[in-house]
This record gives sequence, C-alpha cells and structure tokens, in this order.
Amino acid sequence: MITTSQLTKRVSTADGDLEILRGIALEIKRGETAAIVGASGSGKSTLLGLLAGLDVSTEGDVVIDGTSLASLDEDERALLRADKIGFVFQSFQLLPALTALENVMLPLELSGASDSDQRARDFLDRVGLSERRDHYPRTLSGGEQQRVAIARAFASEPLILFADEPTGNLDTATGAKIIDLLFALNTEQGTTLVLVTHDMSLAARCGRQLVMQAGELEEAS
Amino acid sequence: MAALLGSSLRLLLRDWRGGELGVLFSALILAVSLVVGISGFVNRLQINLERESSRFLAADLVVSTADRTPESFIARAAESGLARGETVTFSSMVVSESDEMFLASVKAVGGAYPLRGSLEIEDTNGQLTANQPNPGEVLLADRLVQQLNVLPGQRVWVGDAELVYAGKVISEPDGTSGFFGYGPRLMMHTADIEATGVIQPGSRVTFRLLISGSPDQVSEFADWVRPQLVQGQRLLTVEESQPGIGATLDRARGFLLLAGSLGVMLAAAAILVAARRFGERHTDHVAVMKSLGATSTTIRNLYAASLGWLGIAAILIGSVLGWLAQSAMFIALAEQLPGEINEIGVSPYITGAVTALVCIGFFAWPPLARLGLVSPLRVLRRETTIAGSQRALDLVLGTLSLAGLMIWYSKDVFLTSALMGGIAVTVGLGFLGARALLSSSRQLGSRAGSVWRLALAGMQRRGVNSAFQIVIFGVAIMLLLVLVSVRTSLLDQWRLQLPEGTPNHYLLNVAPQEADLINDFFTDKNVEVGRLYPSTRGRVMAVNETPLPTWEIGQEGPRQQEANFTSGAVMPEGNVVLDGEWWQPGTTESIVSLEEGFAQEIGAEVDDVLTLRIAANEFEARVANIREVDWESMQPNFFVIFPTEVLSRYPGMLLTSFYLEPGQKPVIGDLIDDFPTLTVIELDVVIDEIRAIVDQVSQAIELVLMIIMVAGALVLIAGVTASVDERLHESAILRALGARRGRILGAIAIEFSMMGAIAGLLAVVGAELSGWLLQTQMLELDYQPGWILWPFGLVLGALVIGGLGTYTCRRVVSVPPIQVLREV
Repeated sequence: MITTSQLTKRVSTADGDLEILRGIALEIKRGETAAIVGASGSGKSTLLGLLAGLDVSTEGDVVIDGTSLASLDEDERALLRADKIGFVFQSFQLLPALTALENVMLPLELSGASDSDQRARDFLDRVGLSERRDHYPRTLSGGEQQRVAIARAFASEPLILFADEPTGNLDTATGAKIIDLLFALNTEQGTTLVLVTHDMSLAARCGRQLVMQAGELEEAS
Repeated sequence: MAALLGSSLRLLLRDWRGGELGVLFSALILAVSLVVGISGFVNRLQINLERESSRFLAADLVVSTADRTPESFIARAAESGLARGETVTFSSMVVSESDEMFLASVKAVGGAYPLRGSLEIEDTNGQLTANQPNPGEVLLADRLVQQLNVLPGQRVWVGDAELVYAGKVISEPDGTSGFFGYGPRLMMHTADIEATGVIQPGSRVTFRLLISGSPDQVSEFADWVRPQLVQGQRLLTVEESQPGIGATLDRARGFLLLAGSLGVMLAAAAILVAARRFGERHTDHVAVMKSLGATSTTIRNLYAASLGWLGIAAILIGSVLGWLAQSAMFIALAEQLPGEINEIGVSPYITGAVTALVCIGFFAWPPLARLGLVSPLRVLRRETTIAGSQRALDLVLGTLSLAGLMIWYSKDVFLTSALMGGIAVTVGLGFLGARALLSSSRQLGSRAGSVWRLALAGMQRRGVNSAFQIVIFGVAIMLLLVLVSVRTSLLDQWRLQLPEGTPNHYLLNVAPQEADLINDFFTDKNVEVGRLYPSTRGRVMAVNETPLPTWEIGQEGPRQQEANFTSGAVMPEGNVVLDGEWWQPGTTESIVSLEEGFAQEIGAEVDDVLTLRIAANEFEARVANIREVDWESMQPNFFVIFPTEVLSRYPGMLLTSFYLEPGQKPVIGDLIDDFPTLTVIELDVVIDEIRAIVDQVSQAIELVLMIIMVAGALVLIAGVTASVDERLHESAILRALGARRGRILGAIAIEFSMMGAIAGLLAVVGAELSGWLLQTQMLELDYQPGWILWPFGLVLGALVIGGLGTYTCRRVVSVPPIQVLREV
C-alpha cells in the first residue's frame, strides 16, 4: 500500500544544508497498522508529511497504492489525497467557521459526493456526537473536537489514515477513548493506519512499531 | 459550474456566520457607496449649479452668429427635442410720437425665450409679468421711456416698423451677457424684425439661437455643432460668457472630483487591508482543505466565486446606500440649492459597479488568489508560509488599475498623476523609512523600559506588516491632508476673489468735462467711486507695418482687433507684466501695453511696432510690455493701455466702477436723470450669483469632506483591526505569564503611536508634494508650504492612530487568556 525507497529530505538553513531524513526504505501493506515513534525533532512529522504527499522529498520516492508521488504535481497529489487518504491531527484542524456537521461534510463535498450530508450525519452518530452536530468547534471540548476530526477522516472512507499525535492535546482518559474509537473504526473499514506518536503504549496497539532516530528509521525489535 | 456556485455560496455564508467577511464586505460596500454617493452628488450638484448659472445666458447653450442662424442648426435642435428660443440684437435709433429720438440697444426675442431664468416686465397697468413682448409691441427700459417721453399705448418706430409701447423691461436674465451693447434696452418680438428693414448686409447684428435640455442632449448638440462653426459663429456656454462663474464652477468641480478620487483610493486601501487579513485568516483553512484533497484550482475557483457573490451583494447594497447618502446631502442642502433637483441618472451606478470590479480584481483578489499556493504541509508545520514572489507585481498592477480608474472617473490625467506622485513618495519613503526606523528602534528598545521594549519588539517582529500598516496609515492621512489643505486654499481664494465692496456697477460714456460733476454727484450720495479710466474705442491696423486683415475677410491667424484703449501712469491692480517693462510715469514716448491674449490675436510681441487708429487718426506705438489680467476680479480691465500723455492727444471718454449697497439702487435713477448720456452696467446680480454659488459649493465641499473623513477613519480602523488576531494571541500568552493589563495596553499604545507618528510625517511629505502640484497646476491657486503641518502631522498621527489602535485592541486584554489559547 505504501512503499518508499531512498527517501531523503534536506532543508537549507543558515548553517548549511540539514538532512532530516536519510534514505528511508519502508513498506506498509494494506490493512496494516504502523506506529512511528521517536523523540521530538527526530523527523517523524517530516516523514508523515512525505508519506501523505503533503510535502515533496529531496531524493527518493513514495508509492501509494501503485502511484508514484514523485510523478505527480501538487494538484494531482491533492486529488490522490481526496481519493485515498484521511488525516487526524494533534491540533484537530477543524475549521472554526464551520459547524461539526459541516466540518465532516467538507472532504465529502470536495470529492463531489452527492450524499455528503447523510454520510456526515451517520459518521457523527458513530462517534457519538449526533447531539452536537450544529455546534462550532469553539464550543466543543478537546475530546469532542478530536471525535469530529475522526468522523471527518473516516467519512470519506480512505484507504490510508495518517494520524499525527492524535492524543497529544488530550488528557489520558479522553485520549484512551479517542484511541479506542480510532482503532474500532479502523478495524471496521480495514483502513491502513500510520500513526505518529511518542506514546509507547499507544504505539504498542499497532501491528508494527518503527523507531525514528536521527533521520533514520528502524523496525522495533 | 452549478456545484461550484453552490459550494462557493455555502463557503461565503459560513464565512459570514463566522464573522470572517465583515471588514472586507464593509470595505467593498464603502467603496461602492462612496463612489455612487459622491459621483451622484457631484453630477447633480454640477447640473443644478450650471442650470442656475445658465440663466445668465437665458439658456444652457447659445449659438451666436453674425448672420441668420443656419436652418440646419435649428432643424437639428428640433430633431433632438431641445427647447429653443432666439434673440436678435443690434443698436438702432428709436423715434417716438413726440419726435424724440434715442439710440437704443434693441433685442428682438422669439421662440421660448427665456429658456432659463425669467423676464421681469411691468405692463402698462403697473402689473409685474414674465411675458415676452407680443408681435407689434415693444417693451422699453425705464430710461428709454423717459428719453422718448412715451406713454402707454403710444407708437414707437424702430427703423420702418411701427410698434406699440406695451410695458417696461425691469430685468432680463441675459442682460449682462455681452454687455458692451450701448444704450438702454428696447425689447420687441422677432416677428417684427423683417418690418424694421434694419437688417442689411454688413449691418452689425447678432443672432442667437438659445438651446436648453437635458445635459446629455445639450452636450450632444454642442458636439455636433462645434465642428460646423465658421467665421463669425460662436458657441457660448455659461463658463465662457461669465468667466467669474465659470472659474468658480470649474474649481468646485475640480475639488469634488478630487474628493471623489480620494474616496476611491481610500476605499481601495481599505479593501486591500481587509482582503489581506481575510487571506491570512484563511491560510489555515485552505491548508486543511488541501490536506483533505482540494486542488489549487478548486481553491481558486471557490474563492473567486465567493468574491463574485460578495461583489454582487456589495454593488447592490452599496448602490442603495450611495443613493441614500447623496439624497441626504441634497436634502441637507435643499434650502441653499436653487431650482428643481434633477434625477441622479445611471452613470453613478455604473461608476460604482466598475469601481467594485476593479477593487475586487486588483485589490481583493490577489491575496485570495495566493491562497491557492498555500502548502498543505501547513497542517503539520504552521510556520510554512506562502511563496510571496507575486506581491510586488500585485502592488504595481493595483496602482496601475487605480490610476486607470481615477483617470476614467475624473477624466483628468494631471489630477491622477499628482495624487499618484504623492502616494508613490509616501509609499516609497514609507517602506524605506519604516524598515530603517524599525531596525534602529529595536536597539533603542533594548535600552528602554520593559513597556517600551515590548512595544518596539512587537513592531519589529511584525516587520513587513508594520511597514505595510504604516504605509496604509500614511496614505490615508496624506489623502485627508491634501483634501483639507486644498479645501482651505479654495475657500480662501473664493473669499479673496470678491471681497466686500467689490465694484458692482460700471459707468461708461463719461465725457471728460463731466468728470468733476460726476465725482461731486457720488460724494453727495456718499458712494465711493473708483478711478476714472480714459476709454477710447480704437483699432489695431498693422503690426510692424504689415497690415492685418479685417474680421470680415476672415481667415485663420492674426487680424484687426477693436478694443477700448485706456491710459495710465501706473499698472492697474491685479495685472502682472509677463514680458518687457512697465513705463516710468510722465513718459511721452509712443509706447503701449497689451494683454497677453490680445497680443496673441494680433500676433504682436514686445518691441513690435503697432499701427493704431482712433477715429480718423492713425499713429504708431511700440509694444513696451505684455500683461496678464485677472479677469475674475470684477475690476475694469483693459486689453490696451498707453502712457497718459500718449492717449491724451486723442478725443475720448472715461469709464469707472462703483459699489452700491443693496438699498442704494435709486442712486442709479438719479444719476441717469442728471447725466442722461451715461451708460450704467449693473453687475450686482452677477456678483450676488457668484457669491451664492460659492456659498452653496462651500457647503457641499464641507459635506463631502466629512464623508471622506469617515472613509479615512474606516481605512485606519481596517488597518488597526488587521493585527488584532496576532495581538490577541500574544496578549494571552503575556497575561498567562503574569503581565498586567496596563502594561500590555501601554505597549500597544506606544506601538500604534509610534507607527502613527511615522505615518503622520510621511503623510505630510506626500501631502505637500500632491498639494503643491494640485493647487498650482490644476486649481490655479497660490501654494504656501504648510510648515505647521509637519509637527501637526506627527502629533496628530501619533494621537489618532495611537488612540484608535488602543481602542480597537482593548479587547485583547479583556478576553480571558484561556479562551484565546484554546482556540489556536
């Protein structure tokens, strides 16, 4: 489902080039769940950005479901994301001007789904927020906001779900509930899950654990 | 397409609900309503004032011909549905039943005369009417009635025509236009002209076709007729026939257009600021949408369509508000404005809509178009920014479009360039100066107290944005300063143009031996009389012994000119020597001084020798100097002046001017009784009219100025609001760290005051440049550098921006920090 080869990312800084990722080779199969763990600044988020096609690599390539990202331009990558990829972010990234329901509808509308309203309602039901449908993000708690974000991510039934520190902004109890919800939906839809975290207990729930260290990725033993 | 329109409308409504659109939408509405309001008001005011002053012509437009008005002109006017009247004027000896004879200034009227203004006639029963004479009748000026010793119903002969005396002419609207017709008025009907037999080939007769109608119809007719005019045919407009009123109207129009153009610029600035803020606030939204799969094309189309909806709504609402605003202005001015108020027409709405489109296309769209370039990576890394290479190009395109809009709007390239020059200086110096000051202020700040350090650090951190804000503030203040200073000069100039006691009557045909008697007469009546000028009718025959062709032969280039010659030892007040030198008093040298336009018409320069003729005497004189004359001064002005000793060799009369208080009018009757051969020209009506127009326009100008001030304030508010979000976040962090509200507000006040001071200083520099160009070149006013403005601009900028900024940002210390920190 996801394959990378020689994936390298360098950025220019005042002190010369800085290599953030160093020739990463990775393969994640359909339906697998994989956690990328590592210290802050180890390059986890950079790798996630590249895998999801949000950023472009300096060298190497990412192949998603048979499509090489290096051969796509920004707009083609966007279409690929609309088609196959969902996200859950640490800071939720809900649009403050939209209600919970409208936030969930957004990716459905972007991919031109005709029944976006009904599907969004269904997914809000499934994350237990049907009562909060018309609330704006600022009137929802952190846990509720993340549940909206999860509903949004699964509503478009993606092949791959990328989650970036999904519990990073939540307390332990809420975080645990969110993770349960995430894995339940993941199992139900058979989604490939790539999760970035520094929470080892969360990482342990994934089928594979990958450790990021100084720009290199290793399978945890 | 339908899906795009639908989703863009949804986006717009959601943004509206979220309060994201308020400033941008208001700025767009402001732009449209400002343009519709001001241009509607200016159009209507101008038409209204022109109508009012057109009563001096008794028409909106006059075609004056030395021969009968060509049939084709009349036919065309009829075809265009214009109202028509005619007058035929000439001088003729008039004879009464008692065999008294007198030279009268005859005016035959016909058609719908007068088309503007009204006649005041006293019929034989002593009733006042406004009716023109019927065929077979004559109306006489009071003086002529006395001279002819005629009674109601008696016969009067004009040439071969026998007519009946049917009333007195008290006043006529066009009595003062072309006022060098001598002799008291006799008014008759054009139907009787043929019977007089006075009109022969070569006789000096003026035929006038009077036209009135809607401004469009009239100007269309004028455009049609102008290229067909031949020798001896002229088109007369209010401006030409009454230079005083014409110049006043021109300046007023210039000012109002200037105000309108400034309004457009201010609105554009507000839109630019608001759209930038809108774009910045939407960057995160777009990053999220892109991460969810929206392409840059989708984003661009979505925002373009949203902007389209916004534009349509703004045009509709702005047009309504603009209409209301100009109606309110007219209602406020209703008492001062003469005549009926005409319709606003469609052109202001078109101007408003085009303005909205230009503002959207060149000011609102670029920041939104760039949203398409937002990297989706921003969802992971907030510090990811948009590639900003296009900004300079946006600015250039925006400036060009604004210049184009202003040229279209004011039809004045010069006005536009003068303002753009001032703005360019403000913007250029602004960015350079602001950056330099910002970098040095940081070093200053590190040595200052903590509130100052906070303020200066804030200003510095916002680097480009601070510079942008300073420039916007600077431009807004500059435009307001330009407007205030031009208005002040304009009103001063108007006050000076016609000071109290400006002569309002001319006295012609004073015989030299009557001079002392006339002086005694006025001393008796307690009326101050001006200098007596010799006045002799004369003609320029040749320049450097090359004879000039006569008017009748007619051809392009110099030709013979007739004028009133005068003499004097000193140059009349208000005249300026352009070339050559004024003579020493007492000179007997045969020299002459010419008015510049007159010199051009005969093709003479300083040191050329003219051959002149007075009655049967021909003599030569060298051109000693060429003068500029202030035709608006209402003082006696002369084309040709000789040294006293030179002109005294030839016979001639005298002329003078005097001022009568409104209650002193009967003095004229006494004067004519004592000196029946004098000609009195009454200018008091014209002067009163100019004063009335000046008063009306002054009020309109004050009103427009106030509206523009409001627009300026909105730009400043938009500019200040632009940084509220960022400050909100900063303030929350600072307060979470324990900073007191006073300290944060103090820092904000210092930051805005410093930006305001810099902006104020920049504004003064730009305003001085624009003001100088506009006043000296466009409005022909004297320019005085406003040194007082410099410290004033600095202090005012600091106070206004500091106050406004602190007031607008007061929310940042009142919102609980947790609420702000949770939102981000």
